[in-house]
Amino acid sequence: MDLFHGLTYGFSVSLQPSNLVACFIGVFVGTLIGVLPGIGPVATMSLLLPVTFAMSPTASIIMMAGIYYGAMYGGSTTSILVNIPGEAASVVTCIDGYQMARQGRAGPALGISALGSFIAGTFSVLGIMLLAPPLTSVALRFGPPEIFGLLLLGFTMVTYLTAGSKLKAVAMALLGMLLGTVGLDPISASPRFTYGSVTLGDGLGLVPIIMGLFGISEVLLNIGQGVKQEVFDTRIKGLMPTREDWRRSAGPIARGSVLGFLLGILPGIGAIIPTFISYALEKRIARQPERFGRGAIEGVAGPEAANNAATGGSMIPLLTLGLAPNVVMAVLLGAFLIHGVQPGPLLMKEHPEIFWGVITSMYVGNVMLLVLNLPLIGLWVQLLRVPYGILFPLILLFCVIGVYSESANVWDIVVMLAFGVIGLLMKRFGFEAAPLVLAFVLGRMAEESIRQSLLMSSGRFSILLTRPIATVFIVAALSVVALPVLLPPVRRMLRTVPPDDTA
Amino acid sequence: MTGRERAAAAVLLVFGVIALEEAGRLRFGSLARPGPGFFPVVLAAAFSLVCAALLVGPARARDAEAAAPLPRLGWPKVVATMAALFIYALVLEPVGFVAATFVLLLFFFRALERQRWLVALGSSLATALLTYLVFRVWLNVQLPAGPWGG
Repeated sequence: MDLFHGLTYGFSVSLQPSNLVACFIGVFVGTLIGVLPGIGPVATMSLLLPVTFAMSPTASIIMMAGIYYGAMYGGSTTSILVNIPGEAASVVTCIDGYQMARQGRAGPALGISALGSFIAGTFSVLGIMLLAPPLTSVALRFGPPEIFGLLLLGFTMVTYLTAGSKLKAVAMALLGMLLGTVGLDPISASPRFTYGSVTLGDGLGLVPIIMGLFGISEVLLNIGQGVKQEVFDTRIKGLMPTREDWRRSAGPIARGSVLGFLLGILPGIGAIIPTFISYALEKRIARQPERFGRGAIEGVAGPEAANNAATGGSMIPLLTLGLAPNVVMAVLLGAFLIHGVQPGPLLMKEHPEIFWGVITSMYVGNVMLLVLNLPLIGLWVQLLRVPYGILFPLILLFCVIGVYSESANVWDIVVMLAFGVIGLLMKRFGFEAAPLVLAFVLGRMAEESIRQSLLMSSGRFSILLTRPIATVFIVAALSVVALPVLLPPVRRMLRTVPPDDTA
Repeated sequence: MTGRERAAAAVLLVFGVIALEEAGRLRFGSLARPGPGFFPVVLAAAFSLVCAALLVGPARARDAEAAAPLPRLGWPKVVATMAALFIYALVLEPVGFVAATFVLLLFFFRALERQRWLVALGSSLATALLTYLVFRVWLNVQLPAGPWGG
């Protein structure tokens, strides 16, 4: 199927009424939880996994993907109006977005972030359509050594690009993989670390861990420290950016789109890191860098474009390799597997309706989001006024329902609560949860691929360096470690915005 | 590394060593035929090494910020929330979703958030019934059955 046929076929799938409804629910729920601080796309997608049992695989994936990019749209609204990131990828938007709102320019700030997100989202959909099919044919040549090389690159990325201590991130990644070994050994099926428990025999569940680390712990932190809720109380007038705003934003949106998309493809990056890099880049090349932090529209346009483009880019490894490059994609992978569909190089051939349907639905969803977001901003503002005392019991309850409904096992709720406490302690002691969860997901695949590689080579690790594709990944992983040490400028580029820049 | 972080690293190191000891009981196999214990042993060993490095690692200038006191955390409220959720998880199946959820929410709204009795009762009951209707009846999601609502 060539690109044109793929597209027309895809639209014929994504425009079917049931899929349109799924897409709408996805982007609407995504925007909603994006607006609400304290609940993000990862927890929401896990929560809604069981709801998708009854839907067709295509509709489920369309809805799940919609939640993710919808959350990227919604997160910026809270950043701009309340100076609290609605979800993690909108942290940078707070800096200049909130300043714009204080200067009475909340309208253009919201407008440019919605329009910039739309442009970037569209760009990344085009990118997927062009890149995914050729990558699929490369992916067909992947064996265990190649998979292991790619996973190694992913682990290196996720640990070396975290904002905090690299060593701590490595520790969390190793811990995540270690937790992933609980349950049956993937090759010999003998039990490991189960201590006779039936719940542990199935392995620790991804959903309880995610809900605990990202949902429960966030709520605990908020009720422990108190949330300040000051919605910016001016009338929001004129969402359309002026001609001057557009002139300033065009470059940042274009650069943010390309940057976000390309970084998003790489395993381990996610949507957050590109926003920091985009902000740092715009500030560095700006003619008046001193405007940044004082309400520069470039500081909103670039990062918002970057996080939306990154969501699209991160779909590529999932659709072509069946590999989850970040935590959100891990949940999406779960959604595929629940329906018995294995994403990867064969997806395009075996399930063209899912492959092309999901890609084109992202375009449809982006249009919906634009239409939805601009007029609904008033509603989101009202939502932000709901006191946290009402909100947090509901979030906790939804976490419990989500975990229970997935397995019908109350011990999974206990696992979630335990990881809620662990997550709270991790936040207090400065450990990040993302490397842990990503490693937990990929650990199983890493174990299988390295053991199969060793079986293939009769115990020689050199197999990782004698096959060209695997070698490329290993060398890339080593360069990620080595380059920042060798080249200080690269280190400055890769380092996320240092504390003094964000103040 | 601050004192606080060193303490965390020490706890993690203890966990790593226990994990290594436990992983050692699994069949390691050989490099040519790695067994179930191969990967866990390598991971637990690497994890313990990294934690040891964190424990003895030098204090860096950048840690000055990390050494600043953490924002105060209202532990009583956090502990009360977790205890309530834990009890909720245990009674969920014997009691049933609607009744257990009603009591849990009532505790949150009234005891933790000091809403007026009428508001607390009303919103707890409404939420318990609404979530039941939406998730169990409408979306057909499995919820714990029990004598009072399931």
